[in-house]
Amino acid sequence: MYQYSDFDKQFVRQRAAQFRDQLDRNLAGRLSDEEFRPLRLQNGWYVQRHAPMLRVAVPYGELSATQLRALAGIARKYDRGYGHFTTRQNLQFNWIPLARAADVMDALAAVDMHGIQTSGNCIRNITSDALAGIASDEVVDPRPYAELLRQWSTLHPEFAFLPRKFKIALTGASEDRAAIAWHDIGLQLLKNAAGEIGFKVLVGGGMGRTPMIGTTIREFLPWQQILVFIEAIVRVYNRYGRRDNAYKARIKILVKAEGQKFVDAVNAEFVDILENDLAGSAHILPQPEFDRVAKSFELPESVRALPVAPTAYFDAPKAYGRWLERNVHRHRLVGYRAVTLSLKRSGQAPGDTTADQMDAAAAIADRFSHGELRVTHEQNLLLPWVRESDLPELWKAARNASFATPNIGLLTDMIACPGGDFCALANARSIPIAEEITQRYTEIDELYDIGTIDLHISGCINSCGHHHSGHIGILGVDKDGKEWYQISLGGSDGSSVSGPSVAGKVIGPSFAADEVADVIETLIDTYRDRRTAGELFIDAVKRIGVEPFKVSANAVRRSTAPAHVD
Amino acid sequence: MNFVDPHKDRWHALGGEDGPAACINPAPFLLLNVEQWHAFRAHWPEGMSVGVALANDAEVKDIAADLHRLSLVALKFPKWVDGRAYSQARTLRARYRFAGEVRATGEVLVDMLPLLKRTGFDAAVLRADQSLDEAYRALTFFPGHYQGDAADPLPLFAKPPGTADALARASTQKFADPGAAI
Repeated sequence: MYQYSDFDKQFVRQRAAQFRDQLDRNLAGRLSDEEFRPLRLQNGWYVQRHAPMLRVAVPYGELSATQLRALAGIARKYDRGYGHFTTRQNLQFNWIPLARAADVMDALAAVDMHGIQTSGNCIRNITSDALAGIASDEVVDPRPYAELLRQWSTLHPEFAFLPRKFKIALTGASEDRAAIAWHDIGLQLLKNAAGEIGFKVLVGGGMGRTPMIGTTIREFLPWQQILVFIEAIVRVYNRYGRRDNAYKARIKILVKAEGQKFVDAVNAEFVDILENDLAGSAHILPQPEFDRVAKSFELPESVRALPVAPTAYFDAPKAYGRWLERNVHRHRLVGYRAVTLSLKRSGQAPGDTTADQMDAAAAIADRFSHGELRVTHEQNLLLPWVRESDLPELWKAARNASFATPNIGLLTDMIACPGGDFCALANARSIPIAEEITQRYTEIDELYDIGTIDLHISGCINSCGHHHSGHIGILGVDKDGKEWYQISLGGSDGSSVSGPSVAGKVIGPSFAADEVADVIETLIDTYRDRRTAGELFIDAVKRIGVEPFKVSANAVRRSTAPAHVD
Repeated sequence: MNFVDPHKDRWHALGGEDGPAACINPAPFLLLNVEQWHAFRAHWPEGMSVGVALANDAEVKDIAADLHRLSLVALKFPKWVDGRAYSQARTLRARYRFAGEVRATGEVLVDMLPLLKRTGFDAAVLRADQSLDEAYRALTFFPGHYQGDAADPLPLFAKPPGTADALARASTQKFADPGAAI
């Protein structure tokens, strides 16, 4: 993990001090609520349905056991004893009174954490592959680049008040586990024929009301130039992005509207910075700076590829085999595995974790993974440094802490936003829908038979639950003050299983809340009836199209059925 | 940062918002809009101080050729959360090496000051209800920054070795000392 320097630590402490000053002025009536709002947002503080919500940054998903314990402590002391891991690898608290917000920021700063730019119209926390640095299909470890981008984007003075939020994701593997094409900027690290490292740069992806896939603006940008090139993109966006309509303010709208003109403007700005600006080339990254940052991402001490050895005999129950199959992943080092701790189980919302569970996960990470964890895009935790020989013991520990559900990649490993139970933006609730579906599919044999599938649930068009990219997407909509749900099929996050990134197709008018679980069940049944041997849900949708699914979904309509005529 | 008291400001705009005035009597410290400047630039006496107010959707390059004749460029924040003028200010300083005054006008709040200073503004007309003490205080918090900016063009990594540590030490001492004025 990146090790904070004294400067980094002092910077975060002073950010907390600045926030305390702003909060004090707000509470004393010297800073109006309206003017405090953008300031608190840029520190992760939303005002939600019940209380403020705090979004804590977990930069590119890397978390230490010490940090997780501190989060557990905050959950106990200031919240109601739990937190929620998000699709953007962050952690949210839901019940902290605003008056205690500054104390929480101090507590976070004590473990090198903060909420900087986790909300607001600025460059948001940068996300990456949860298997960064350990994936067997990795070409370049993206973490040093992610950290360099984090530092560059942190309190960038020119880009704190953009037309709208701005999200960057990067990956260095051949498999895209970071959904980069769905981001304002997506970065793919690669090597050219000469073995030099560079970025493929995508721009203008995004979800929301107008889902769009990013356009490639550079096939190969030498890595040293990445800060300057992104500066050019964001400056063009800051100058010309729409500000008259929040729904048309994301960069994707500018890219779409201007097309080649946008690309030309970015390229001209890039050249201008390098050739004409005072110290314009000072942001070209030098090798020593890369090396300084990359040093933090060397292998943990004592982690080395191990000689291949037969696994010790273990009278393994079937559940263990399933856990190995679903929750344990290949590692670039022989003798090591990455292991997902599933946060998807009946009785808890997807991604939710109690303080006790956080402590348990921290203890497991200390014992089995050099005190390091990752937050995944799918809202689970992942242990990056597990010795293969420790797997049986880890399984027992994970099972005791309710982390061993062998459902990774299966139907109940769904992505869901907090929805209308918590979020002031939501049109409908996500959690009861997720819970009803989870309860219907508790049989692990059945989940296995259904196989790999992405189910994504968003409570509103802001798409925090990434419904557009789900093989099945569920979107909460509001009509006449009631909750309705639009169902879409065939979306892709860009993974190799899902195929090229694309938004799913909506299958007809919205369904009532009490119809949704039936719809999901009939969609699954239709797939099982129609599939060929070994065919996944997403492949069946591509082969036979959405129509057969639409027909079966319409057949379970009750309150939304067309008026019956005798 | 120079905080401009609008009642004592030597700069004054031409009255009227109805487009270019039919005629202007050149006088020192006139603040013109871009249309007015373009209409009278040919006749403006050399050496007489003049300023231009640039809307935040105007192009800096449209006045680039005349910047050596301008003493002031006023940039506007129609709403404080509209960040376009930050890019304009930085472009004025970094690209065109404008050395005159760059002034923030419109809805200017104390919490904008760190951004204003770093993007190249050296003067601000605070909104009437803003506190000068709080404005100064807003500039005190950070030990330094990661990126280069208009005021300090080198990013932290391009500064001499040891700079980051020295900044951190200085900041820690400043805020640890109970007597420090912050």
